[in-house]
Amino acid sequence: MASELTAVLLSAALIGTALAALFSKKVSNSLIALFYTSIVLGVAFTVYGDALVGLLTMVTFAGAVSVLLLAVILITGESNLDIGARRLALGLSALTILVGVASFSDLFSGGSPSNISDVSLNVLNFAWQSRPWDLLILVVVLSGAMVGVVHLLGGDQ
Amino acid sequence: MVGDQTILFATGTAMLLLGIAAIAMSRNLVKTMMAFQVAVFGANLSLFAAGLGFQFECSSLGICIGDTFVVLSILVGAAVEAVGLAIVVLVYKRYGTLDPSKVRRLKN
Repeated sequence: MASELTAVLLSAALIGTALAALFSKKVSNSLIALFYTSIVLGVAFTVYGDALVGLLTMVTFAGAVSVLLLAVILITGESNLDIGARRLALGLSALTILVGVASFSDLFSGGSPSNISDVSLNVLNFAWQSRPWDLLILVVVLSGAMVGVVHLLGGDQ
Repeated sequence: MVGDQTILFATGTAMLLLGIAAIAMSRNLVKTMMAFQVAVFGANLSLFAAGLGFQFECSSLGICIGDTFVVLSILVGAAVEAVGLAIVVLVYKRYGTLDPSKVRRLKN
């Protein structure tokens, strides 16, 4: 089980990104904040020993539903990111890449991640033990998709 | 001392209430759907936190009773979100606006 400090940090990140998603002026910024809310929620589920639900949350909400929202935003013409917001979002994407690479770097030595010690589902053990390159590719693809979304939303309508 | 379960449960409840409040105050249908998604996140987190107290109710694969409810809630939430976004697109094409207060001809 994770410590109480982990729970407090995850809760603060969840509340912060949810507030940013709900009360941001621009819809495109709300979409980016909602994406990070999905990621943090999936990480919270995974840290508390439920990798299946965490993975399902990330795939469903950070993947499919975010793309649906992006399509609706583009159809309705609600996207108008300015340069400052685009730089901020690109910085957040770069931070995601760095954190992802740093989190999975110890997998290359054959060990398991230190912050995920209670993975109870045997089906997902392969992900933590013998497939580090796949996880790294997944992180890079997710971050690259986010950068692509930011560039797509940053264009003039 | 406040435990992990209490912290997660309080966070989930706060997100649920925030989502419901944002749904009530929103003037944009897309942001209404985003607020609905935040409310679904809060419900999922509350269900997960409630299930942390029932770890003895697990199957041989390690899937506990709280996880079952969370998976069901995720799938239902994603389906409702997809249908809602489709309705948002149809409303925009029909009325040319996303402000729900300007859409007053639904009954016709």
